[in-house]
Amino acid sequence: MTNDTSFTVLQKVLDTATLRHKVIANNIANVNTPGYHRREVCFQDELARLAATGDGERLAAARPEVLESHEGPFRADGNNVNVERELADLMKNALVYRTCTQLLSSRIAGYRAAISGQSATS
Amino acid sequence: MDFDHVFSTFRVSASGLAAERLRMKVIANNLANANVTRTPEGGPFRKDEVMFRSVLDRAMGADGLGGVAVEGLTKSTEPFRVEYRPGHPDADPTTGMLKLSNVNSVTEMIDMMGASRSYQANLAVLTTYKDMMNQTLRLGR
Repeated sequence: MTNDTSFTVLQKVLDTATLRHKVIANNIANVNTPGYHRREVCFQDELARLAATGDGERLAAARPEVLESHEGPFRADGNNVNVERELADLMKNALVYRTCTQLLSSRIAGYRAAISGQSATS
Repeated sequence: MDFDHVFSTFRVSASGLAAERLRMKVIANNLANANVTRTPEGGPFRKDEVMFRSVLDRAMGADGLGGVAVEGLTKSTEPFRVEYRPGHPDADPTTGMLKLSNVNSVTEMIDMMGASRSYQANLAVLTTYKDMMNQTLRLGR
Protein backbone atom coordinates (compact mmCIF):
# COMPACT_ATOMS: atom_id res chain seq x y z
CA MET A 1 0.00 0.00 0.00
CA THR A 2 2.89 2.35 0.76
CA ASN A 3 4.23 2.05 -2.78
CA ASP A 4 0.81 2.57 -4.33
CA THR A 5 1.23 5.88 -6.23
CA SER A 6 -2.47 6.11 -7.12
CA PHE A 7 -3.17 7.48 -3.63
CA THR A 8 -0.50 10.15 -4.12
CA VAL A 9 -1.82 11.02 -7.58
CA LEU A 10 -5.41 11.29 -6.34
CA GLN A 11 -4.32 13.36 -3.36
CA LYS A 12 -2.42 15.72 -5.66
CA VAL A 13 -5.40 16.06 -7.98
CA LEU A 14 -7.64 16.85 -4.99
CA ASP A 15 -5.13 19.41 -3.66
CA THR A 16 -4.89 21.02 -7.09
CA ALA A 17 -8.68 21.08 -7.48
CA THR A 18 -9.00 22.77 -4.07
CA LEU A 19 -6.44 25.38 -5.05
CA ARG A 20 -8.06 25.89 -8.45
CA HIS A 21 -11.40 26.37 -6.75
CA LYS A 22 -9.88 29.06 -4.55
CA VAL A 23 -8.33 30.77 -7.58
CA ILE A 24 -11.71 30.76 -9.37
CA ALA A 25 -13.38 32.10 -6.20
CA ASN A 26 -10.79 34.89 -6.12
CA ASN A 27 -11.35 35.67 -9.82
CA ILE A 28 -15.12 35.88 -9.36
CA ALA A 29 -14.79 37.97 -6.20
CA ASN A 30 -12.65 40.41 -8.19
CA VAL A 31 -14.90 40.60 -11.25
CA ASN A 32 -15.49 44.33 -10.61
CA THR A 33 -11.96 45.24 -9.48
CA PRO A 34 -10.34 47.64 -11.96
CA GLY A 35 -7.00 46.38 -13.31
CA TYR A 36 -7.36 42.87 -11.89
CA HIS A 37 -5.90 40.09 -14.03
CA ARG A 38 -7.40 36.62 -13.75
CA ARG A 39 -5.27 33.86 -12.25
CA GLU A 40 -5.11 30.21 -13.19
CA VAL A 41 -3.56 26.99 -11.96
CA CYS A 42 -1.19 25.09 -14.23
CA PHE A 43 -0.44 21.58 -13.07
CA GLN A 44 -2.20 18.99 -15.27
CA ASP A 45 0.72 18.44 -17.70
CA GLU A 46 3.33 18.31 -14.96
CA LEU A 47 1.17 15.90 -12.93
CA ALA A 48 0.57 13.61 -15.92
CA ARG A 49 4.33 13.54 -16.68
CA LEU A 50 5.26 12.71 -13.06
CA ALA A 51 2.48 10.13 -12.71
CA ALA A 52 3.80 8.40 -15.85
CA THR A 53 7.28 8.08 -14.31
CA GLY A 54 5.78 6.44 -11.20
CA ASP A 55 8.28 8.30 -8.98
CA GLY A 56 6.27 8.61 -5.75
CA GLU A 57 8.68 10.92 -3.95
CA ARG A 58 8.96 13.49 -6.74
CA LEU A 59 5.22 13.27 -7.19
CA ALA A 60 4.60 14.01 -3.51
CA ALA A 61 6.96 17.00 -3.65
CA ALA A 62 5.36 18.58 -6.74
CA ARG A 63 3.36 21.74 -6.09
CA PRO A 64 0.78 23.41 -8.35
CA GLU A 65 1.52 26.98 -9.41
CA VAL A 66 -0.78 30.00 -9.59
CA LEU A 67 -0.11 32.11 -12.68
CA GLU A 68 -1.46 35.47 -13.70
CA SER A 69 -3.14 35.46 -17.11
CA HIS A 70 -2.54 38.40 -19.44
CA GLU A 71 -4.68 37.12 -22.28
CA GLY A 72 -7.52 39.32 -23.48
CA PRO A 73 -10.11 40.52 -24.07
CA PHE A 74 -9.69 43.20 -21.43
CA ARG A 75 -12.55 45.42 -20.36
CA ALA A 76 -12.15 49.20 -20.37
CA ASP A 77 -11.14 49.07 -16.68
CA GLY A 78 -8.24 46.68 -17.41
CA ASN A 79 -9.99 43.60 -16.00
CA ASN A 80 -10.02 40.32 -17.98
CA VAL A 81 -12.32 38.18 -15.79
CA ASN A 82 -15.13 36.50 -17.74
CA VAL A 83 -17.73 35.23 -15.25
CA GLU A 84 -19.20 32.66 -17.66
CA ARG A 85 -15.79 31.14 -18.28
CA GLU A 86 -15.00 31.09 -14.56
CA LEU A 87 -18.31 29.38 -13.74
CA ALA A 88 -17.72 26.80 -16.48
CA ASP A 89 -14.23 26.13 -15.05
CA LEU A 90 -15.81 25.92 -11.60
CA MET A 91 -18.28 23.22 -12.68
CA LYS A 92 -15.54 21.27 -14.47
CA ASN A 93 -13.30 21.51 -11.43
CA ALA A 94 -16.11 20.36 -9.10
CA LEU A 95 -16.68 17.32 -11.34
CA VAL A 96 -12.96 16.48 -11.29
CA TYR A 97 -13.04 16.74 -7.51
CA ARG A 98 -16.11 14.51 -7.30
CA THR A 99 -14.55 11.92 -9.60
CA CYS A 100 -11.41 11.82 -7.47
CA THR A 101 -13.28 11.43 -4.20
CA GLN A 102 -15.27 8.55 -5.73
CA LEU A 103 -12.11 6.89 -7.03
CA LEU A 104 -10.45 7.32 -3.65
CA SER A 105 -13.52 5.90 -1.90
CA SER A 106 -13.55 2.83 -4.10
CA ARG A 107 -9.80 2.35 -3.54
CA ILE A 108 -10.32 2.52 0.21
CA ALA A 109 -13.27 0.12 -0.06
CA GLY A 110 -11.07 -2.26 -2.05
CA TYR A 111 -8.32 -2.24 0.57
CA ARG A 112 -10.85 -2.62 3.37
CA ALA A 113 -12.35 -5.66 1.61
CA ALA A 114 -8.89 -7.16 1.13
CA ILE A 115 -8.03 -6.62 4.82
CA SER A 116 -11.29 -8.06 6.17
CA GLY A 117 -11.45 -10.83 3.56
CA GLN A 118 -14.91 -9.89 2.35
CA SER A 119 -16.24 -9.19 -1.10
CA ALA A 120 -15.80 -5.52 -2.09
CA THR A 121 -19.40 -5.27 -3.26
CA SER A 122 -21.01 -6.33 0.04
CA MET B 1 -3.39 21.15 3.92
CA ASP B 2 -4.51 22.55 7.25
CA PHE B 3 -7.95 23.73 8.28
CA ASP B 4 -7.17 27.38 7.78
CA HIS B 5 -6.34 26.61 4.15
CA VAL B 6 -9.71 24.86 3.78
CA PHE B 7 -11.64 27.81 5.21
CA SER B 8 -9.69 30.49 3.35
CA THR B 9 -11.68 29.69 0.18
CA PHE B 10 -14.88 30.43 2.09
CA ARG B 11 -13.37 33.75 3.11
CA VAL B 12 -12.50 34.63 -0.51
CA SER B 13 -16.11 34.03 -1.62
CA ALA B 14 -17.47 35.81 1.47
CA SER B 15 -15.37 38.88 0.64
CA GLY B 16 -16.93 38.92 -2.84
CA LEU B 17 -20.42 38.61 -1.38
CA ALA B 18 -19.77 41.42 1.11
CA ALA B 19 -18.35 43.69 -1.62
CA GLU B 20 -21.32 43.13 -3.94
CA ARG B 21 -23.76 43.66 -1.06
CA LEU B 22 -22.12 46.98 -0.27
CA ARG B 23 -22.30 47.96 -3.94
CA MET B 24 -26.03 47.16 -3.85
CA LYS B 25 -26.42 49.36 -0.75
CA VAL B 26 -24.63 52.25 -2.46
CA ILE B 27 -26.89 51.87 -5.52
CA ALA B 28 -29.96 51.86 -3.24
CA ASN B 29 -28.67 55.03 -1.55
CA ASN B 30 -28.01 56.70 -4.91
CA LEU B 31 -31.50 55.89 -6.17
CA ALA B 32 -33.12 56.99 -2.90
CA ASN B 33 -31.31 60.34 -3.17
CA ALA B 34 -31.87 60.82 -6.91
CA ASN B 35 -34.05 63.89 -6.38
CA VAL B 36 -32.31 65.40 -3.36
CA THR B 37 -31.42 69.08 -3.75
CA ARG B 38 -30.16 69.75 -0.21
CA THR B 39 -27.26 67.93 1.44
CA PRO B 40 -25.25 68.66 4.62
CA GLU B 41 -22.24 69.62 2.46
CA GLY B 42 -24.44 71.97 0.40
CA GLY B 43 -25.84 71.64 -3.11
CA PRO B 44 -27.61 68.64 -4.62
CA PHE B 45 -26.72 65.02 -3.88
CA ARG B 46 -23.60 63.65 -5.57
CA LYS B 47 -23.68 60.01 -6.62
CA ASP B 48 -21.41 57.64 -4.66
CA GLU B 49 -19.17 55.18 -6.46
CA VAL B 50 -17.62 52.06 -4.94
CA MET B 51 -13.94 51.35 -5.49
CA PHE B 52 -12.87 47.70 -5.32
CA ARG B 53 -9.35 46.42 -4.93
CA SER B 54 -7.99 42.88 -4.82
CA VAL B 55 -6.43 41.66 -1.58
CA LEU B 56 -3.11 39.88 -1.33
CA ASP B 57 -3.06 37.29 1.43
CA ARG B 58 0.39 37.71 2.98
CA ALA B 59 0.08 35.08 5.70
CA MET B 60 2.82 32.44 6.02
CA GLY B 61 2.48 29.73 3.39
CA ALA B 62 -0.52 31.46 1.82
CA ASP B 63 -0.98 31.54 -1.94
CA GLY B 64 -1.71 35.28 -2.09
CA LEU B 65 -5.39 34.86 -2.89
CA GLY B 66 -7.20 37.11 -0.46
CA GLY B 67 -10.39 37.99 -2.31
CA VAL B 68 -11.65 41.51 -2.71
CA ALA B 69 -12.02 44.55 -0.47
CA VAL B 70 -13.81 47.87 -0.76
CA GLU B 71 -11.22 50.61 -1.04
CA GLY B 72 -13.79 53.26 -0.26
CA LEU B 73 -16.53 55.42 -1.69
CA THR B 74 -15.83 58.31 -4.01
CA LYS B 75 -18.17 61.07 -5.06
CA SER B 76 -18.92 61.14 -8.78
CA THR B 77 -17.72 64.29 -10.56
CA GLU B 78 -20.34 64.03 -13.30
CA PRO B 79 -22.21 67.34 -13.87
CA PHE B 80 -25.52 67.93 -12.12
CA ARG B 81 -28.78 67.76 -14.03
CA VAL B 82 -30.27 71.23 -14.53
CA GLU B 83 -33.97 71.88 -14.98
CA TYR B 84 -36.05 75.06 -15.32
CA ARG B 85 -38.12 75.07 -12.09
CA PRO B 86 -38.69 78.73 -11.14
CA GLY B 87 -41.08 77.91 -8.27
CA HIS B 88 -38.67 75.59 -6.45
CA PRO B 89 -37.17 77.02 -3.21
CA ASP B 90 -33.66 75.76 -4.17
CA ALA B 91 -33.77 77.13 -7.71
CA ASP B 92 -31.54 80.02 -8.77
CA PRO B 93 -33.70 83.14 -7.99
CA THR B 94 -32.54 85.07 -11.08
CA THR B 95 -32.55 82.36 -13.76
CA GLY B 96 -35.06 79.91 -12.26
CA MET B 97 -32.73 76.97 -13.00
CA LEU B 98 -32.65 74.12 -10.43
CA LYS B 99 -29.63 71.87 -9.98
CA LEU B 100 -30.61 68.23 -9.36
CA SER B 101 -28.42 65.29 -8.29
CA ASN B 102 -26.13 63.65 -10.87
CA VAL B 103 -27.70 60.21 -10.31
CA ASN B 104 -28.81 58.58 -13.57
CA SER B 105 -31.46 56.00 -12.67
CA VAL B 106 -30.85 53.92 -15.82
CA THR B 107 -27.13 53.58 -15.03
CA GLU B 108 -28.00 52.68 -11.45
CA MET B 109 -30.44 49.97 -12.55
CA ILE B 110 -27.81 48.45 -14.84
CA ASP B 111 -25.26 48.54 -12.01
CA MET B 112 -27.83 46.93 -9.75
CA MET B 113 -28.24 44.01 -12.16
CA GLY B 114 -24.46 43.67 -12.36
CA ALA B 115 -24.16 43.59 -8.58
CA SER B 116 -26.98 41.06 -8.33
CA ARG B 117 -25.39 38.72 -10.91
CA SER B 118 -21.94 38.99 -9.33
CA TYR B 119 -23.49 38.17 -5.95
CA GLN B 120 -25.09 35.06 -7.46
CA ALA B 121 -21.80 33.99 -9.03
CA ASN B 122 -19.99 34.29 -5.68
CA LEU B 123 -22.77 32.33 -4.01
CA ALA B 124 -22.50 29.58 -6.65
CA VAL B 125 -18.77 29.26 -5.89
CA LEU B 126 -19.48 29.05 -2.17
CA THR B 127 -22.18 26.37 -2.59
CA THR B 128 -19.98 24.28 -4.90
CA TYR B 129 -17.10 24.45 -2.43
CA LYS B 130 -19.37 23.35 0.40
CA ASP B 131 -20.45 20.34 -1.70
CA MET B 132 -16.81 19.50 -2.47
CA MET B 133 -15.89 19.54 1.20
CA ASN B 134 -18.91 17.36 2.04
CA GLN B 135 -17.69 14.80 -0.50
CA THR B 136 -14.30 14.81 1.22
CA LEU B 137 -15.93 14.24 4.60
CA ARG B 138 -17.75 11.21 3.17
CA LEU B 139 -14.48 9.65 1.89
CA GLY B 140 -14.14 5.97 2.71
CA ARG B 141 -17.69 5.52 4.02
